[in-house]
Amino acid sequence: MMDLFQKVILLLAIAIVLALAINRFSPHGIPLIGQWDTDTGVVTADTDLAALWAEFEVPDVATAKRVFDSGKALFVDVRSQGIYDAGHIPGAVSLPLGDLESRLEAILDDVPRQRPIITYCSGRLCQDSHTAAQLLMERGFENVLVFIDGFPGWIENGYPVATP
Amino acid sequence: MVTLSQHPDSGWWTSGWVDLGLRWLLGGLFVLASMHKIEDPAVFAKIIYGYDLFPAAAINLIAIILPFIELTAGLALLAGFYPRAAAVILSTLLLGFTVAIAINALRGHVFDCGCFTAAEKVVWQNEPAWMLGRNALLLFMGWSIAFYRGRRVAQVRSG
Repeated sequence: MMDLFQKVILLLAIAIVLALAINRFSPHGIPLIGQWDTDTGVVTADTDLAALWAEFEVPDVATAKRVFDSGKALFVDVRSQGIYDAGHIPGAVSLPLGDLESRLEAILDDVPRQRPIITYCSGRLCQDSHTAAQLLMERGFENVLVFIDGFPGWIENGYPVATP
Repeated sequence: MVTLSQHPDSGWWTSGWVDLGLRWLLGGLFVLASMHKIEDPAVFAKIIYGYDLFPAAAINLIAIILPFIELTAGLALLAGFYPRAAAVILSTLLLGFTVAIAINALRGHVFDCGCFTAAEKVVWQNEPAWMLGRNALLLFMGWSIAFYRGRRVAQVRSG
């Protein structure tokens, strides 16, 4: 007869084996260790995704500012409308991730597919700008970058802010 | 006068049917609660990160394993398979959740990533009072099952 402690251990062992096996084979499975250091980049459970993303990220705020000053790129703010209204990068269009797919055509229809687009959201705790960038690339935009420091990084450096 | 048939512990709360009801309710709730987390471990991992209480190296492991502990113990309660052990596990988890929520409520820590993907899922974090009350109720249910001494209804294996 097993005592209570052994039964607890047995149930936990079943759970751990199931968890690791299903995580290993599930399409939604994640690596055993994630990327949770904001100094390294955007925080995410999925380090494979993080490595892929690194290829199209704007590395720092100063670079984003240079691109902004050149006036060549279109900044796309994917945060919610209310947050955008409270303050955003001047000239940025509001395209909240929640309705990006439905509003994309209406808002970006006359934007040439070659024009550089920089997406941003609420900084390194937020993956929305990456999700948005991926959607934009799928829709044929050829030069999409993610400004990972987002709006918090922008205002931290005292760069200009627009309110409608 | 107390006799064997009138044990001081006897009453509606010692009924096997009440025990069964509590087991199914608690078990069912945990099975349901585990589902979203199992479907999207990356979002759950971010919620754990948001608590700012765990080492970075442990976050993904917690996100992978914790939902399956909830699922396994929840199913065990539903099936009457080692219900006491399952109730001990879930009560310990509830105690852990309660401590985590209380620590963050006391230090005023609220996680807001300003993101769409996790927004709906972290809204409840802003209501620690509601969560602590709910956890207290669930913890009482867990302990009732763990300390139940009567004959259990619909039990596959005891303990």
